[in-house]
Amino acid sequence: MFDLSFLLEDGYLKLFRDGVLTTLRLFAVSGLLAIVVGVLLTTLRALPVKLFKGFVIVVVEYHRNVPVLVQILVWYFGVPQLLPEGARDWINAGNTEFFFATVALALNAGAFISEDLRSGLRAIPHTQQEAAWSIGLTYLQSLRYVILPQGIRVALPALLNQSLLLFKNSSLAMAIGVHELLYRTRQIDNLTFRTFDVFLVATILYLIGTLSLMALSEHFAKRRTAPSGV
Amino acid sequence: MWQRHLAAALFATLAMTGQMSAAHADQLADIKARGTLVCGTQNASEPYAFPDAATRKIVGFDVDVCNALAKGLGVKLEHRALSTDARIPELKTRRVDVLAAAVAWMPARAAQVDFSDQYFVAPIRVLVRADSPVQTLEQLSGKKIAASEGSSSAAVSVTRLPDSNLLTFHDISSAFLALQQGKVEGLVAGQLILARFANEAAAKGGQQYRLLTRPVFEERWGVVMNKGEPALRDAVNRILVDYDKSNGLQESFEKWLGSKSVYKFTRDYKVEPIKVQ
Repeated sequence: MFDLSFLLEDGYLKLFRDGVLTTLRLFAVSGLLAIVVGVLLTTLRALPVKLFKGFVIVVVEYHRNVPVLVQILVWYFGVPQLLPEGARDWINAGNTEFFFATVALALNAGAFISEDLRSGLRAIPHTQQEAAWSIGLTYLQSLRYVILPQGIRVALPALLNQSLLLFKNSSLAMAIGVHELLYRTRQIDNLTFRTFDVFLVATILYLIGTLSLMALSEHFAKRRTAPSGV
Repeated sequence: MWQRHLAAALFATLAMTGQMSAAHADQLADIKARGTLVCGTQNASEPYAFPDAATRKIVGFDVDVCNALAKGLGVKLEHRALSTDARIPELKTRRVDVLAAAVAWMPARAAQVDFSDQYFVAPIRVLVRADSPVQTLEQLSGKKIAASEGSSSAAVSVTRLPDSNLLTFHDISSAFLALQQGKVEGLVAGQLILARFANEAAAKGGQQYRLLTRPVFEERWGVVMNKGEPALRDAVNRILVDYDKSNGLQESFEKWLGSKSVYKFTRDYKVEPIKVQ
């Protein structure tokens, strides 16, 4: 059976704690950035400019069709190589692992969020748009005050689903050496060879994270369901 | 909804435990009755166990050890090429009998699995860029260093170089890429692979590399088995000693690591019980 007493030895508990904290930080920072990216992409796509629409389609399809791991590796190993040498050395000297993992995760989640928001917006009848125009709002104002607030409500369940995905995808950052939960898990496994015990702990920790997010989403779903008729 | 998820997770956990606790009387007797030895190696670790370009079969120093073990037991070899991650789970769930998979002895590991006598000993060292100001291990303090994930080099770095910031990558080539791109100050790995990286860079020109003089650790590889199998462990140890005496180990070493290889290393250890460091 499982024996978790090893957690008390040699600071393994501290390694797990550091991993959880880094995972939470990665999730929070990339999640907030992803919302910004998502809203930006949706707005660009909703604008009546062909060039913007094309740009957003390219961005969204890249992030939907290329594995997240590859996206992270491209940002970490590929993008800095395109910069001039001075800038490259300066970037490489810093905490680039966390930075590029955050950028890659935020863009990926942002692309998916923008699609969820778009679906939400499409659920809003066009008459709402016309009503907004008729009271003299500009296109951007109608998006901001009338369409987006309603659309976001419709998109809320899908958005919370994205947050679960982002939480789990954050584990891919270990590929570039970010010391998040899965990185620490595999490190402790490598040190102790207690594979099953170590991954049981990690599974429980990830479950606590995802189940809390799900509980949060149910709470929101009850309080903020879209009004009937929308 | 979430209750169902939790139930699924618990079920998976119990299924896994059931498999682990399946009773086995004596693995050596099982192997002989079955007529095959299932021996695991790594699958992409040149020159220890890696795909041969021509035949696509996994060959190397560790595969030779598997062959010697099967021959010594008088059974057929069933070779399994495993990823670093899969090594220990495959052994613990008894899908393989033994591992000759570049597993270095460490005290915490020895509490979980049994090690045979050492069949390979080599220093773990640090490679830095030739123009790096770093000359000693101490100067790596506070700096980023890279290693391959799941490797013994990564494990010993945690204790031997605790002040450095260790980043592990999925394989040694990505770790070397991080060194090449200047993302890390040093690369921790077996001396052999580091020497190859440095030699290849020297042959190509461009960025050059050098090894720090003092090794981080001397790793000792053993054949790894499940605990509580004294008959199997004794048989493996006997075979390894014979393998050394009959010159089989020396021939294999020359072919993959020594005079007949690109590495030109000489063997300065013999098969004997692993000394606690």
